[in-house]
Amino acid sequence: MKDYLYDGTFEGALTGIYYMFKAKEKLNESRLLLQETYQMSCLNETIVVQVNAEHVDRVTKWILEAFGEHAFRHLAYAFLAEDTHYGTFLFNYLKRLNQLGAGGVMCLSDPYISQMYKLYNRVTRESHLFLGLLRFSELENGILYAAFEPTQNIVPLLTGHFKERLGAQSWVIHDVKRGLAAFYDGTAIYIKPLEMPSILNFSERERNYRSLWKKYFKAISIDERLNPRQQKQMMPKKYWKFLVETPSNMNIK
Amino acid sequence: MTTLEKLTILADSAKYDVSCSSSGSNRSATYNGIGNASAPGICHSFADDGRCISLLKILFTNACMYDCGYCINRNSNDSIKRVSFTPDELVDLVIQFYRRNYIEGLFLSSGVLRSPDYTMEQLIQVVKTLRVRENFNGYIHLKGIPGADAKLIREAGLYVDRMSLNIELPTSQSLRLLAPEKDRAQIIEPMKLIREEMASYRVDAKKFKKAKLFVPAGQTTQLIVGATPEPDYMILRISEAFYQKMKLKRVYYSSYVPVGRVEGVVPYGIHSLQREHRIYQADWLLRFYGFKASELLNEEAPDLDLVLDPKAQWALRNLHLFPIDVNRADLMTLLRVPGIGTVSARRILAARRLAYLDFDGLKRIGVVLKRAQYFITCKGKMLARVDENPMFLRQLLADGNTQLNLFDLYPKQFGGGHERLSI
Repeated sequence: MKDYLYDGTFEGALTGIYYMFKAKEKLNESRLLLQETYQMSCLNETIVVQVNAEHVDRVTKWILEAFGEHAFRHLAYAFLAEDTHYGTFLFNYLKRLNQLGAGGVMCLSDPYISQMYKLYNRVTRESHLFLGLLRFSELENGILYAAFEPTQNIVPLLTGHFKERLGAQSWVIHDVKRGLAAFYDGTAIYIKPLEMPSILNFSERERNYRSLWKKYFKAISIDERLNPRQQKQMMPKKYWKFLVETPSNMNIK
Repeated sequence: MTTLEKLTILADSAKYDVSCSSSGSNRSATYNGIGNASAPGICHSFADDGRCISLLKILFTNACMYDCGYCINRNSNDSIKRVSFTPDELVDLVIQFYRRNYIEGLFLSSGVLRSPDYTMEQLIQVVKTLRVRENFNGYIHLKGIPGADAKLIREAGLYVDRMSLNIELPTSQSLRLLAPEKDRAQIIEPMKLIREEMASYRVDAKKFKKAKLFVPAGQTTQLIVGATPEPDYMILRISEAFYQKMKLKRVYYSSYVPVGRVEGVVPYGIHSLQREHRIYQADWLLRFYGFKASELLNEEAPDLDLVLDPKAQWALRNLHLFPIDVNRADLMTLLRVPGIGTVSARRILAARRLAYLDFDGLKRIGVVLKRAQYFITCKGKMLARVDENPMFLRQLLADGNTQLNLFDLYPKQFGGGHERLSI
């Protein structure tokens, strides 16, 4: 029983994997845990892992060659779910893939494979949802600004879509919860920390389009078919805060 | 009149069109333009009635020369204001909503103003302005106006992603009764035209790199359920024909909502939403599960059971085909098991290449064992021992968790008192 401790970064986890495979650690025996929240115990030997770019590179190449891009995408997206057990899940996942071979990625009946797939699925689901639920506001200087609070760390997964879609338009997508934002200036995307701006100066016409949208949102619903349960199911309430429109099913007759 | 007022009225008049889908098209973006179409479709919000909002669903005008008994915009309805957008007003709304990520594109329909050709020309002007002047590459779903010239339908098809002509009612008799000015042939002919043009695009696309897109997301239609007495069997047969012969992407069903009273012609009171739900489930079985309409219903049993989903209904009538061995059955057989959907069926195939599946594994894959357990074996074993009494199984499989109310199940008997529905 050995506990490997990493710094919580994706690179840290991959470095941990390098040492664990090198030491021929066994499934269900050794764990890869977050150093920050680790509680020392006298039963387990602990090894602290320092990020090492060479090891990261080597593990990445190995995963891509042995199990394909498919597997790498699953485990990389899953990291964005920020699950505290991610490290151990990753070790178990790669151990199992090693036994099953490349086709193992979709062997979802396997507990270790499905564990990773569930995290991956949670992340892709939320990022797909926000392709729709994200709301941009036009600032005075013409930049489009969108604030949101996703459960998973999905900012990096949204940028490609909006870059493609909005053409030369500059925009900011701001994860207020994590203080992280993606910026696009018409040529390149930057992801940087960003605090909540104290004042946002909206363009003159912004208010007008917002009220048009609110009005539309009300008008398009068929009163005879009110269905608050479905509305909440499809669009969980935790996401309503940053919508322009306000669903009115809070107090239904 | 302000844009705000127009938007409110023309959205209110458009909301009975069911389609919200923005899927099936892959139109790519240009750097100097705005927008693209994403093949899986994207929902942008969910209205208070729980329906997804993907496209700006709007009428160009709600003025209409026709007097269809089921439609809020019918000529004789004095209780609504008649307004029209100008093409520029509408184009501005689409672009500004789109930039703010409120919508995935436009679903444009219209009342018939002056003539079908005139109306169609107005609609074409809107979509052309969007595509050509604004370089808009987002999703556009355009309603074809029955009776419009073939040339106009063909021109519109070059700019839009999806086109639809609504069949409105299941049979031509019903159409004659409720929409005397509309002719079924006027609806079917443009559908055929679109089908032919789509086919010839596919041929061209193989030969030339720059063949012009024609309705890349295909065509759909919609019919109203419950305004006229056709049974479910007849409705499914019609949908099946549309899918097979007309190559439609979707048939939408709209449970009848009384919009203003037309005495003696349409029923009074809202029709069962549960029936609409079951018809949709059956429609999915036709499109993705390899079922035929005649397997689900027939003349002796013409209506779907409201307490049980259509696949379970079929399985109970065919218990002699079960249980099946999950580790051996082919895709089409797996798809027929209640509790196994298209996703879990494919996952089963992928997983069993490497593993011999047991019930725990099936659970992880996402099979709903609560339903599937009566129809499958794993490693030679069944999870549930039940004697094969269909009535007993029916109770186990019924939608027990979601309490159905009597009104939903028997709207005719319990729907009389819904006064608020009269306008």
